[in-house]
Amino acid sequence: MFFKGVPASHGIAIGSAFLLKVEELRHAKRLLESSEQAELEVKRFQVAISSVRHDLENIADTMEDVVEGRQILEFLLLLLQDPTIKRDVESRILGGLVNAEYAVSTAIRGVMDKFEVMADPYIRERVADVRDVGRRVIEKLTGTEKDVLDKLQEPVVLVAKDLDPSETAGLKPGQILAFVTDMGGRTSHTTILARALGIPAVVGLQKITTEINPRDVLIVDGIHGHVIVNPTEDELRYYAGVKKKFQKAEKLLQKMNQEPAVTEDGVRIELAANIELPYEVELVNKLGADGIGLFRTEFLRLIQENGENEEDHFTIYDTVASRMKPKPVIIRTYDMGGDKFRTGLNSAPEANPFLGYRAVRIGLDRPQEFSIQLRAILRASVHGNIRLMFPMVTHVEQLRRLRDLLEKVKDELRADEIAFDNDMQVGIMVETPATVIALDLMLPYADFVSIGTNDLTQYSLAVDRGNPRVADLYDSFHPAVLRQIDTVVRLCHSQGKWVGVCGSMAGNPLAVPLLIGFGVDELSVAPSLIPDVKKMIGVVTTYAAREMAEKSLVTETGLGVRALVHSYVIGKYPEILLDENDWKTGG
Amino acid sequence: MTEIKVVVPNKLGIHARPAALIVRAAVEFVSDVWVESPADKVNAKSIMGVMTLAASGGTEIVVSADGSDEAEAVEVVAEVIRSGFGEEMI
Repeated sequence: MFFKGVPASHGIAIGSAFLLKVEELRHAKRLLESSEQAELEVKRFQVAISSVRHDLENIADTMEDVVEGRQILEFLLLLLQDPTIKRDVESRILGGLVNAEYAVSTAIRGVMDKFEVMADPYIRERVADVRDVGRRVIEKLTGTEKDVLDKLQEPVVLVAKDLDPSETAGLKPGQILAFVTDMGGRTSHTTILARALGIPAVVGLQKITTEINPRDVLIVDGIHGHVIVNPTEDELRYYAGVKKKFQKAEKLLQKMNQEPAVTEDGVRIELAANIELPYEVELVNKLGADGIGLFRTEFLRLIQENGENEEDHFTIYDTVASRMKPKPVIIRTYDMGGDKFRTGLNSAPEANPFLGYRAVRIGLDRPQEFSIQLRAILRASVHGNIRLMFPMVTHVEQLRRLRDLLEKVKDELRADEIAFDNDMQVGIMVETPATVIALDLMLPYADFVSIGTNDLTQYSLAVDRGNPRVADLYDSFHPAVLRQIDTVVRLCHSQGKWVGVCGSMAGNPLAVPLLIGFGVDELSVAPSLIPDVKKMIGVVTTYAAREMAEKSLVTETGLGVRALVHSYVIGKYPEILLDENDWKTGG
Repeated sequence: MTEIKVVVPNKLGIHARPAALIVRAAVEFVSDVWVESPADKVNAKSIMGVMTLAASGGTEIVVSADGSDEAEAVEVVAEVIRSGFGEEMI
């Protein structure tokens, strides 16, 4: 069985149903015999109010860290102490000589009726708050307070017609996996509280309470507003995966901070992000990254069904650059071929695609098409801090031809009177041993370099890491790789050029101290790794990093290098061991 | 009896949260305090009253008070409204 409601609070939960009955807010009328009795009844009402006040204040105290929660509880307290409602109840008791329960229920009913006809839907939804407070006062008066939720033996998915805000505020996230209700909308206090407490919820399901039996297994998808009752094996497996993914993203959000990456001894390290799609910029900004160290552009090939289109390129570069401004965005030109997007550009099968027709080799072969991308990048360069990067440059003459092509495009733009940044930095990826060894001949034509450690490792060690029979030989901590990084940094710095690392090594916590020690100027990693890398940088001193880097150059094996770094960081960053599998292998 | 005219300056008007801010300011005074829109006049110490006023952004409101601290009460409550409740202004 499948239900669709209003996604009220994000998250996925899987668990068994617990049906919660909601008492009707009606109460029998009992006539009092004298005005003295009525006076006593008013007293009883006042005692009930101060007792409920005490309860609500207690719940508010538990929400010290939940701003929205506290605000909602404060609102309920104001309702509870509303002089108009109070006076209304008291005059009903004294004038009509009726019991307090009846007076409260009729007074509350009257207020609810008033709210329900309000034009503003936001105010209309406050009806639930009025009922909440009324219910609590009546429960105090009759001594029938609900405590079923405190007696739950195991975590459950709560199923109810509706939940009152104060009831929701009292829910313990560990005990209530999620809740689903017949009533409710996105702006009700109940759903706001669910979000604040991090309890997934789907509301406005109309009649789900009549369709679900106790102990039914429910999947609650608070992201899309779906509820699946007694799911199949496949559905369970699928949602278990989605749940894991969601939790990972949530964890990331919690770790977010805008602080810059600084070493333990106070040295600022430039930490940038690798992105592929424009929407990732928002996340990157929230994570406080120093820029985009690698903007992969291959996806543009996929979205342009009718061939290369300058406007498509321009719009995307412009968006990313202006949103990151003034932080730098390094746009890497097409890196097609190898294992990426073989369609269209090179349909002929190759025996060794990684040694074949790829990246700028294609670009230089089709300068006309390639110029479209270059032109769009140049045009966008006036709207932000754009840097251009060419991948897979192995021959100096390639780089010279690329620069000539760029100059030609610039001339065309000048002729068309289109603005561009003439001083835009142009760099190259260092990802083959050839580039490392002949780098001194290349550097006159480049403003910076960025080391792509994945390809550099694969080409240096002659290992295809996609081949499981040799994958264990793939190791970015291999002395041959580390020595090349050291060489590149020394050479670049002697020529006044800066060096970045944008391969997955930069995101490997154990490699971070080494890269800092080698003197790498910028690390660029997947957005999801930024918090961990930032934390790693924070526990390393530049002195220790240099020492480790030097030692690593004379350590025989990759394993030995990892052990070296590991023994240094373990005392300072013990949580890092939780993801052992991530760093045991070389990145 | 003291009164001041103010205009609700925020886009969303007096919904639940602003109403709570008004009430919290009003209950600090011993005087009776009212807020009055062209449609209705309500007790400024009653959250329900202030909310049912449902004054939208741009509505002209009269804040009035009667009692020993009426002048200050009117000024403080009017100021809460003028501040726009920390929300987006019209």
